Amino acid sequence: MSKKSGALASLLMPGLLSAVLYLLLYLYSPLILEWSGRGGWYFAIPIGIAFLFSIVHGTFTGRFWDVVGIKANPLKK
Amino acid sequence: MEISFLDLSLANVAFLFVVGFVGGLVSGFIGSGGAFVLTPAMMSMGVGAIMAVASNMCHKFPKALVGSIKRHRYGQVDVKLGVVMGITAEAGVLIGADVQQYIREAFGKAGSNLYVSIVFVVVLAIVGGYVLRDAIRMYRSTEPDREEAGRLARWVQSVHIPGTMMHFKSIGTDVSLLFIAPLGFATGMLAATIAVGGFIGVPAMMYVLGVPGLMASATELVVAFVMGMGGSIKYAWSGFVDIRLAMIILAGSLFGIQLGAIGTTYVKPYMVKVVMGVIMLLVLLSRGIEIPVYLSDLQWISTLAPETASRLSTVSFGVLILALAVGAGIVLKALWAGRRDALREADAASAAQFSPLPAESAGDQLSPHGRLSRILLVTDGSEFSDSATQQAIALTRRCGGTLHVLSVVASNPEYESLAQPLLEKERQTALERLEAVRRSAARDGVECELLLRHGEVYREIVSVADESRMDLIVMGRRTGTDLVRVMVGGTTAQVIGHTDSAVLVVPRGGYTEGSQLLLAVDGSRHSDAAAALAAAVARQCGSTINAVTVAPDEGAAPSARPVVERVARLLNEEGVKSDARVLTGAPDVAIAGEAERIGADLIVMGSHGRTGLDRLLVGSVSERVIGRVACPVLVAK
Repeated sequence: MSKKSGALASLLMPGLLSAVLYLLLYLYSPLILEWSGRGGWYFAIPIGIAFLFSIVHGTFTGRFWDVVGIKANPLKK
Repeated sequence: MEISFLDLSLANVAFLFVVGFVGGLVSGFIGSGGAFVLTPAMMSMGVGAIMAVASNMCHKFPKALVGSIKRHRYGQVDVKLGVVMGITAEAGVLIGADVQQYIREAFGKAGSNLYVSIVFVVVLAIVGGYVLRDAIRMYRSTEPDREEAGRLARWVQSVHIPGTMMHFKSIGTDVSLLFIAPLGFATGMLAATIAVGGFIGVPAMMYVLGVPGLMASATELVVAFVMGMGGSIKYAWSGFVDIRLAMIILAGSLFGIQLGAIGTTYVKPYMVKVVMGVIMLLVLLSRGIEIPVYLSDLQWISTLAPETASRLSTVSFGVLILALAVGAGIVLKALWAGRRDALREADAASAAQFSPLPAESAGDQLSPHGRLSRILLVTDGSEFSDSATQQAIALTRRCGGTLHVLSVVASNPEYESLAQPLLEKERQTALERLEAVRRSAARDGVECELLLRHGEVYREIVSVADESRMDLIVMGRRTGTDLVRVMVGGTTAQVIGHTDSAVLVVPRGGYTEGSQLLLAVDGSRHSDAAAALAAAVARQCGSTINAVTVAPDEGAAPSARPVVERVARLLNEEGVKSDARVLTGAPDVAIAGEAERIGADLIVMGSHGRTGLDRLLVGSVSERVIGRVACPVLVAK
């Protein structure tokens, strides 16, 4: 497997996972909102979701710009 | 209290995503808080102030954790100061959130909106004005990056209050907790009010405590995580977090933050502050225009005509959009122009590589696995790479050719934008150590080619080795149990996982003459590659190969024997003396034990090149063997 397709594959995994998470959030949003709105120990639901999405989507976006070829200026003195 | 969640239309989702992206873009560009854009944007959509702040905070704190771990790797985080300030900030957050809830209960949604808007206007006026003044100073100054502790910081550092003193590495001296606690508290109060505590935290650390700017902004991430999580839990406990809003914003924001950080590497430092100041003042204007509407709702001024109120809200929203457009426009334009110039100079950049592979370099060897003519030494100047340096010089002298020496300065776009002077210093240090290797090699009659790169260390090593077709990478290995290193894997393990070249890992104090070789095989193609490499070394050194394989127990030993006997037979047929043994037990323990028993000075083995989740779950035998033995290990790919 070439480096480029390897990089693309490493982008696809978290990308797909992220898409699935957002789909689940969309499908179950009435239930999630109902639980979030109850407060109390239900606080764990939005906090847990925030952690999970941050890690998965963060991994995806971290690689995204690199794969599409937008990189930091290598010549900056 | 009644909690109502906003109905999200497709247009709302798109707006939030774009706002998140632009907020992230601005955040990544100016180094802190895009929340001053996000909270008002949510309020403009009709989300109540308290829910806007709560949801904003909830999308931010996991990001702060990821950011602080990243910058901890560059040694920029003062964890102790971050935790101490974070805990005191937590108190500020809890009280700030109580104040918010009290105002909402006493004065309703309009009262809460008015309170948040007024705080915004005051804070943005002070900070925005200061930032613009600083940008002008930097533009005019001949030494814009010079930092020095101010008079206030020097006084704070000189005060000694017994029983309250604590040492902080970022300040370099003891400071009384009585100074730190109020700063943390104020940071927390502001964070709970407008979700941007960094506006107080960073300047306070810099100007009151005397923390260098770079460390202040990195340590602020720890503070933001500690108090952000506390604040989010507090709001979530009362049911105020709309996780849909938070996650849609996060979706755009994480794209933007990376692009913004890249953008900073294409502009001059004062430009970053100009963008920050201009956006802050435009957001201030937007919030300011809305204030009469809230005052009218509260009937604290004569009631505005509905069309006047609606017109003011529209203008406020328009100014906010303008602020976003201006910020995004400047960053994207800088990125576009910078990329164009960088591509033009790409030819010059590509010159920063080792000389190309000469046609005759293959010599009379057929197998690419056994070839050891292009050797890449990786040095980080630490005591861990001293032995690797000596080994690489000796190996090059024996095999002939030129030694290629690489040093990588660890950095990323964010670091490059924030720490140019520090980065330059590290580059100088790295150049000096490359020259030291050159002198040391010259004493042994070995010529060197030197190369300095900056970026993510293992990626740069792998990319140089692959681009320059290196046969062998020689590197040291670090010991120790730093938690972050264990979690992400050491550089050596990452290089082994990703490169196509063979890797010789030399531990501190390790050295091989290739006189006592231990070859570990498992019947895979990777171990055939290891056998070819071991044969090449044995021929060079005139040594015998001790080939071994490992069976889980005595019962499985007979079925494992053909694996190692096949390799020994093939080696003998090629004229390399070898014997075969079957070991039992855990592979890494058995191999390390055998190496000790026979006094091996080099272990040769294949690697399956596992990376990521696969490596985490299955683990790597070669990596574990490297961790267990005191002699060098040669890993074939």
